[in-house]
Amino acid sequence: MTEDATALAPFSGGYFLKEFGIDEALCRKLLTKALSRGGDFADLYFEHSLSDWVGLEDGRVDRSYGSVALGVGIRTVKDEQVGYGFTQDLSEAAMLTAAATAASLVNQAPSPVAAGFSALRNGIHYPVDTGRIFIPLRSKLPVLRKVHELCTSLSPLVTNVSASFVSSVKHILVVTSDGVVAEDSAPLGNLGALVVVERDGRKERSGWNLGGRREASYYSDATVDTIARVSVDRALKLLDAVQPPAGQFPVVLGPGLSGVLLHEAIGHGMEGDFNRKGTSTYSSSLGRKVAEPFVTIVDDATVPMLSGSIHVDDEGTPGQRTVLVERGILKGFLHDRISARHYGVPATGNGRRQDFMHAPIPRMRNTFMLAGAARPGDLVKAAGNGIYVEDVANGEVRIGEGDFSFYVSQGRLIENGRLGAAIKDVNIMGNGPKMLSDIIGVADDLQMYEGGSGRCGKDGQAVPVSFGLPTCLVRSLTVGGVQAKRGNS
Amino acid sequence: MSRQDGTRTPKELAAWVLARAKAAGAKDCRVKASARRFVSVSYRERKPELVSEAGTRGLALEVFVDGHYAAQETPDFRTVSLEGFVSDTVDRAKITEIDPFRSLPDLDRNGIRPNLDLNLADPGHAGVSIGERHGLAKDIEASCLDQGGDKVISVEVTVYDHDYEEWVLDSKGFDGTFRGTEFWTGAVLSVRDQGERRPSVWTVAGARQRRDMPAAADIGAQVSLRALRALGASKIGTEVLPVIIENRCVGRLLGGFLGALSGRNIQQKQSFLADKKGLKIGSPAFTLTDDPFIPRALGSRLYDGDGFPAKRRELLSQGVLNDFFVDWYYSRKLGIEPSTGSMSNLVLPAGTRSLEDIIRGMPKCVLVTDFIGGNSNATTGDFSVGIAGTLYEKGEPVQAVAEMNIAGKHLGFWNGLVEAANDPWHYGAVRSPSLVFDGVVVSGN
Repeated sequence: MTEDATALAPFSGGYFLKEFGIDEALCRKLLTKALSRGGDFADLYFEHSLSDWVGLEDGRVDRSYGSVALGVGIRTVKDEQVGYGFTQDLSEAAMLTAAATAASLVNQAPSPVAAGFSALRNGIHYPVDTGRIFIPLRSKLPVLRKVHELCTSLSPLVTNVSASFVSSVKHILVVTSDGVVAEDSAPLGNLGALVVVERDGRKERSGWNLGGRREASYYSDATVDTIARVSVDRALKLLDAVQPPAGQFPVVLGPGLSGVLLHEAIGHGMEGDFNRKGTSTYSSSLGRKVAEPFVTIVDDATVPMLSGSIHVDDEGTPGQRTVLVERGILKGFLHDRISARHYGVPATGNGRRQDFMHAPIPRMRNTFMLAGAARPGDLVKAAGNGIYVEDVANGEVRIGEGDFSFYVSQGRLIENGRLGAAIKDVNIMGNGPKMLSDIIGVADDLQMYEGGSGRCGKDGQAVPVSFGLPTCLVRSLTVGGVQAKRGNS
Repeated sequence: MSRQDGTRTPKELAAWVLARAKAAGAKDCRVKASARRFVSVSYRERKPELVSEAGTRGLALEVFVDGHYAAQETPDFRTVSLEGFVSDTVDRAKITEIDPFRSLPDLDRNGIRPNLDLNLADPGHAGVSIGERHGLAKDIEASCLDQGGDKVISVEVTVYDHDYEEWVLDSKGFDGTFRGTEFWTGAVLSVRDQGERRPSVWTVAGARQRRDMPAAADIGAQVSLRALRALGASKIGTEVLPVIIENRCVGRLLGGFLGALSGRNIQQKQSFLADKKGLKIGSPAFTLTDDPFIPRALGSRLYDGDGFPAKRRELLSQGVLNDFFVDWYYSRKLGIEPSTGSMSNLVLPAGTRSLEDIIRGMPKCVLVTDFIGGNSNATTGDFSVGIAGTLYEKGEPVQAVAEMNIAGKHLGFWNGLVEAANDPWHYGAVRSPSLVFDGVVVSGN
């Protein structure tokens, strides 16, 4: 049992007891079955998710898609081996079959289930009214119409607008054989617009969204206004954008959205499973200097309302803040229960899964670098000639090599220390550990990504995340383009 | 016919939901019931790391209520839940705005569904034992370890298979059934390199029938060779070079191009190919066929998502664009005839020379064996993507390359396609040989 487990009456008043009759006796029976052939521990992960997507196209809110996920995943763990079964049928017989599947990995004497269960006391990282957690379809229509009206009114160059409003709620119940019961109801949603602009036969497309773990009141006129203005502004900028020259350049990573680069290029390499297997480029770097002393990186489940915030992870460990790099020194990794045991440290609450059909693995939550002392403008000036990155997408990293590649969806040239023309359709490439050690300036303007659409993919599982970054100056990265390289004065 | 225990078969369930939706006010509706049974076995350090087995099921309902439309899906087949699900879907449709283009398709327009047995379900699938799956995973891991030598840090092998079945009914009388098995193997091999670099290389192969899968020893040999070739990778100077895209990677390159063929992107002004039908947009070597009738192939089918009978289509012939992917809904919005809304098997014709012979004949080229990140913009046709692979000079591998990029515009890039090798990839729905492109800017130092 974790230190955070308290004497609250487990199961009582819980969502799954009320809706599906999942009580202590049933859970004990399932865990006993899962450990009937031995194992170090077992856990149950019940999920009931409801999601609702509404879309606007050609000026009409004319489509609605809904989905339901319901089931339980049952896991038996022995050393670093996992047996896993799941079922969408919450009948006792079906769940016992799933538990037997999980147990089939081991062939030893039965292992015990804890004598008593205690409920985990959750933090409050998304303080929404649970009674109003699901946003009704009818209330989404006027919001989408406003997005459309505003986008089309902002510029005569806007030729097409599409918009969507998605919201979901995920109810989970985690019960472990060592006696933890954790239950949570987490909302997630976003409102977004996609705009096409056209001038002199040239077309460009861009968009913007806002969301997170929020309730209906967040999607106010002010939110709509921001989404529309940013969407149109981003698309219009691209009409004048140029492709930068190819080659090696200093790169300034703008605040906020560029944090996805931190997530991909550095964060993944610090996930415990890659490191316990020895396949991450950081596997031998624990305790070593990996960055300058002004660099501190954390992964934090407790930032209010962000997509990656969680009260409890998907194996019953409380959501918390985890320091990865502290003043340039690699302090720790992101752990699920298996990797935490491998390293002999407490689990960090990073054991997450897409849904009940998947076993949990170490995943990021909200990953960001703490603010430094520099001023953003000074970092641009110091870059000389280079690239200013405002937003990146489609990032990918090779964990073992650390090599990464990102598409710059919004950015600017830096010419003689000043921001120049917008750039488009270009990739930046580099090596994660090298980039981390090449960060030579961190500004005081940390921003977090507040969109609700951030998803991280790993091993075929997508989980919601967020990220953040203050403005950073990287000594050099490779810029991919189609023009010859310029000199850097 | 109902099951002996009195529960409904999936098809009966679909018919029941269809009737309920009509009774609840749907003018038209379409129901798809599906079921999948899978087993997955992963190995590492000669031990099972993750063993998973389960069945999944789903029911998807689309309703059309006088121009209003909504769709929902659920795995909850309890009668009381389904009753609420159906009425909720109809209610949701009524809330949305009227869309005059929404309707069930007029299926008579696209001919008659062919009566073919494409052998998409392996009759031996049910007889595959858990022991055989463990055995295959062990054999692949052993092969990787044997052939990777002392550079190997870790091998992770996954063996997966499933049996999938679906039943589709609509209120205009469409009645479709699909059944297919799939077998997949994947291996990731990590090796020690200079400093802290630990290159990981992967291979994935899939097939409908077990007999079409590659042998364990071949998987091990292939992934080991790749891993050893990845050692010592670095970037080279920015240069214009011939680039060869390895067969198994072509799908990813092609993906950016295919987005611009979609009826939705064309109608939504987000396709750089919207006005290019009938025009030459690639070299004479660029012929692309969507072929749903390849026996035992992963993308084969007899009907598409609208229920239209499957049809072989030559999307591009010697560089000339012939056809788009236009489903019923966007065909109505565009005012054109529908083709199909999604790809089946995409086939690029193989050439006559082997990859090795082609490389041998080039003074200098880069063989791309993996893409990293990047983007392809369907609206503008611009793309930019990271690459990993090998630099060859005079037919010999000179060095592994990493942290590099290729970029361009699809409209120009496919004009540079000069040759295809004789090595078509059979283990995916994109069945392409390795492709040779001339004059590509490869960005590095």
